[in-house]
Amino acid sequence: MSLNDNPIFLTQKRLVHRGGVLAAILIAALIGVSLLSGLIAYLTEPQNFNFSSPQVAGKIFYGWTIGVEILVLVIGGFSRISNTLANERKAGLWDSNRLTPLQPWQLVTGYWFGSPLREFYMAVVLAGIGFVIVLLGKLPVTLWLGTQLLIFSTALFFGLLAVFAGLVAQRPQSAFVFLLLFFFIQFPSFAMPKFLLTNFLLPVFGIANLFRDDGRSGDYNPVGDWNGLPELFGLPVYPILLSLILQTAIGIFLWRAAIRKTANPFQPLILRWEAVAILGILLVAQHGLIWGLWRGRFPVEHYLHENEELLSIVHCVTLLLGAIILAAVSPQPESVRVKALRLNIKNLGVIYSGSAVSLTVALAVLAAAVLFLQCALSLAYSWEIYLIAVGNLLAFFLIFSLLLEYCRLRFRRRALGFVALWLFVLCVLPFVLAGVFTNAAIGKLSLLSPGVVALADSNDENLDYLLGIVVGHFGIALLLFLGWQRQWKQLLARASAIQN
Amino acid sequence: MSIPVLTIEHLRVDFPEIVAVNDLSLTVAAGDVCGLIGPNGAGKTTTMRGISGLQECTRGSVKLNGHELASEPDELKKHLGFMPDFCPTYDQLTASEFLDHFARAYNVPDRASRIDKCLEVTWLTDKRDALCEELSRGMKQRLVLAKTLLPDPQVLLLDEPASGLDPLGRIELRKILLQLRDAGKAILISSHILTELSGFCNMAAIMERGRLVKFGSIAELGQQMASRRMSVKWRADGGKALEILKVANVKNLNAADLGATFDFDANTDALDALLKTLVVQGVRVCEWRGSGDDLEQIFLQSGAKELM
Repeated sequence: MSLNDNPIFLTQKRLVHRGGVLAAILIAALIGVSLLSGLIAYLTEPQNFNFSSPQVAGKIFYGWTIGVEILVLVIGGFSRISNTLANERKAGLWDSNRLTPLQPWQLVTGYWFGSPLREFYMAVVLAGIGFVIVLLGKLPVTLWLGTQLLIFSTALFFGLLAVFAGLVAQRPQSAFVFLLLFFFIQFPSFAMPKFLLTNFLLPVFGIANLFRDDGRSGDYNPVGDWNGLPELFGLPVYPILLSLILQTAIGIFLWRAAIRKTANPFQPLILRWEAVAILGILLVAQHGLIWGLWRGRFPVEHYLHENEELLSIVHCVTLLLGAIILAAVSPQPESVRVKALRLNIKNLGVIYSGSAVSLTVALAVLAAAVLFLQCALSLAYSWEIYLIAVGNLLAFFLIFSLLLEYCRLRFRRRALGFVALWLFVLCVLPFVLAGVFTNAAIGKLSLLSPGVVALADSNDENLDYLLGIVVGHFGIALLLFLGWQRQWKQLLARASAIQN
Repeated sequence: MSIPVLTIEHLRVDFPEIVAVNDLSLTVAAGDVCGLIGPNGAGKTTTMRGISGLQECTRGSVKLNGHELASEPDELKKHLGFMPDFCPTYDQLTASEFLDHFARAYNVPDRASRIDKCLEVTWLTDKRDALCEELSRGMKQRLVLAKTLLPDPQVLLLDEPASGLDPLGRIELRKILLQLRDAGKAILISSHILTELSGFCNMAAIMERGRLVKFGSIAELGQQMASRRMSVKWRADGGKALEILKVANVKNLNAADLGATFDFDANTDALDALLKTLVVQGVRVCEWRGSGDDLEQIFLQSGAKELM
C-alpha cells in the first residue's frame, strides 16, 4: 500500500488542507523572500553592507533561512504529530482506527507523514528559496544538499519521536516534554561540539561544519571551532554520515516501539534487549568520540588538555540516559499483577523477570565495559577511579529503578512527585547543603557525585572517601530493595486474594 | 438451535483493586440481539472493550466464528463492528468523508455505493456533505453506527448506543437496530436503560459487579422468574373477578373498578389456568398481559441493583 492509498495519511492530508495551507505557505514565502531580498540588496549595492564577500552574505542569509526551516519542520512537525496523536487518542479515533484491519505500520506511517504536511510545505518553500540564496551567494551546492539532507532526516527522526511521544503521553502538552528533554541536554553540549554525541544526534555539528571556512569566503567564519572532522576511536568520520547513522539506528528502535504500542497498547515501551542495545549504541558512539583524548590511558596521558572533564560529563550523561531508559523499561505494577494473575504465579519470579531492577545490572555492566575503553591501558593507575565510577553507575541505576517502582507501588498516581522528591534529596540536596555549610565533602554525598568527582579530578586524594560513599549508596539501595520487595509481595498477595 | 457467531468464555478483566469482569461466558448467534444489562459500573463497557481487543483481558477467550481474538486479531477486526458509548468523529470532515476514511481502512469494495447505503440505512443521506462538527449528538451517533456498518460485520457490539439521544433519536435508532436484526446480524447491545432494549432483544445477559448474573433468551429467563407482574382488565363483574384472584392466591393485588394488577407464579400453565377460570366463571376479560416489560421484570428479579 503506497502512501496515497493509506487512509490515515489521506485523512490527515484532508484535515491539513481543510485547515488551510495557503496562509502558511505565504508566511514561509514571505520570510524566505525577505531574506533573499536582503542578499539581493547586498549584491546590488555591496557598499551599504558590512559583508566582506557574497559568500559571507550568502552564508548568513542561508543560515537564517534554514534556521526558520528547522523551527518549522522539526519543532513544528514534532508538535503537530504528537498533538494529533494525543488528541485522537483522547477522542477515541485512535481506537477506532486500530480496530480496522489496517496494519500498525500503516497507522504509524499515516500520522508520521500526514500530520505535519503543512510544515512540510512551508519547509519546501524555504528550501527552494534557500537554494536560490546559495546560488546567488556563490556558495557550493553541497552546502544546500547537505543541510537539507540533515534537516529532513532530523525531521523524520523527530517525527518518529513525536509518534512515540503521542502514543505515550496522557495529554497533548505532555508530549512536548520529550522535546524539551532533548534541548535541555543539547544546550550544554555546544561547549564541546566535536566530542558530545548530542551534537550529532541533533545534527548541529554536521550543519555547522558545512558552513566551515573553506578559504574562499574571506575573513568571515561563522562557525569557528566547529571546523574539522570528528573522530570515532581515532578514525575521522564525516559528521553528516555519523548523524544519519545515529538517527537511523535510534529511529529503528523508535519505529519498533511505535509499531508495538500500536499493535497492542499494553505492551512495554521498550523491550529489555532494546534497552541494552540503545544504551550500547549511544555509549559506544559517545566514548568513541572522546577516545582520542586519552587513547585508553585515562587519566595518565592527555592528548587534548582543554577537555579534561569530558569523561566526567559523559559519566553524568550516562547516569541520566540510563535513568531514562530504565524508566521506559520499568513496568507498571498493574501490568505485572495482571501477568501474575494470567500465569497464576504467586512468587516473586514474575517480578524479577519483568522489573527494571534486574536490568540495572546489565546496563551497568555495559556502561562499565564501554568506560573500560578509556582506561584499558592505564588500569594499574586508574583502577580505583574506575571502580568508583562503575560502583556509582550500578548504585545509581539500582536506586533509581527501585525508587521508581517502589513509588509506583506505594503512591500510584502520586508516584512521579515522590520520585522527584527523593531524587532531589539524594542527588541535589547534598550540593545545596555543601553550599550552605561551605563544605565540599557534603556535596560528594550526592548520588551523582562519586563517579563524576573521581573522573573529573583524578588527583583527588580522597578516593577512599568516594569509595565509602558508593558503599553507602549500596546501603540505601539495599533498604530500598527490602521496601520494594515488600510492596511487590503485598501486590501479589492482593492479586492472589482476588483470584481466590 | 442456531450456531453461535460470537463466543465468550470465562472472560476476566482486572483493574487496580477490582475485577471489572469476572468469569463471563456468553454466546450470541446470527439474528440474535443480546441485551447486556446492568447498573452503572457493572462492567458492560469493559466487557465490550475486552471483546473488541481494546482492553487487555486477564484471561478467557473471545471467538468469532471460531477465530480466537488473541491469536487472530486481524480476522476478528474484519467481522466485528464496535460502536463505543461516545461519538469519535473527525470534526473537520464531512459525513461522507468520514465514512470514506473508514471504508478505505476496511478496504470496502465499491466504496461510494456502500457509503450511500450506510448513510441511507442510518437516515443521514441529506447530511452527507455536512461537517461532523455540525451534526447533532443523535446524528453523530448514527454516523458512528454507519461507520460500524461499513464493512458489513457479522457481529455488532453497541455500547450504550442511545445514551444522550432524544426520544425521536431513540425511536430512529430502534428502527435501525430492528433492520439489522432482521438482516441476520449478531448484536450485543449494552444499556442500563431497559426501555431502550425492550421490544427487540431476544437474549439478555444481566451483569452485576463484573459477574454475569443471568444469561439466556428472554423466553427462557421469563420462565425462570419466580413471579410475574400481571395486568387484567374486564368490562363487568369485577367483584367476581377479584374473588377468583384472591382464591388463586395472587400476591400484591391492586384492584380498580375495571381491572387489577397482581404478582403471580411465572409458570405459564398456571397463568393460562387462571385466565381460563376467569373466562369460564363469566368475567368479561378484555385485556390480559404482563404488566410492564419482560426485560425489566427479569432484571428486577435477577438481584442486580442500582438500576438507572
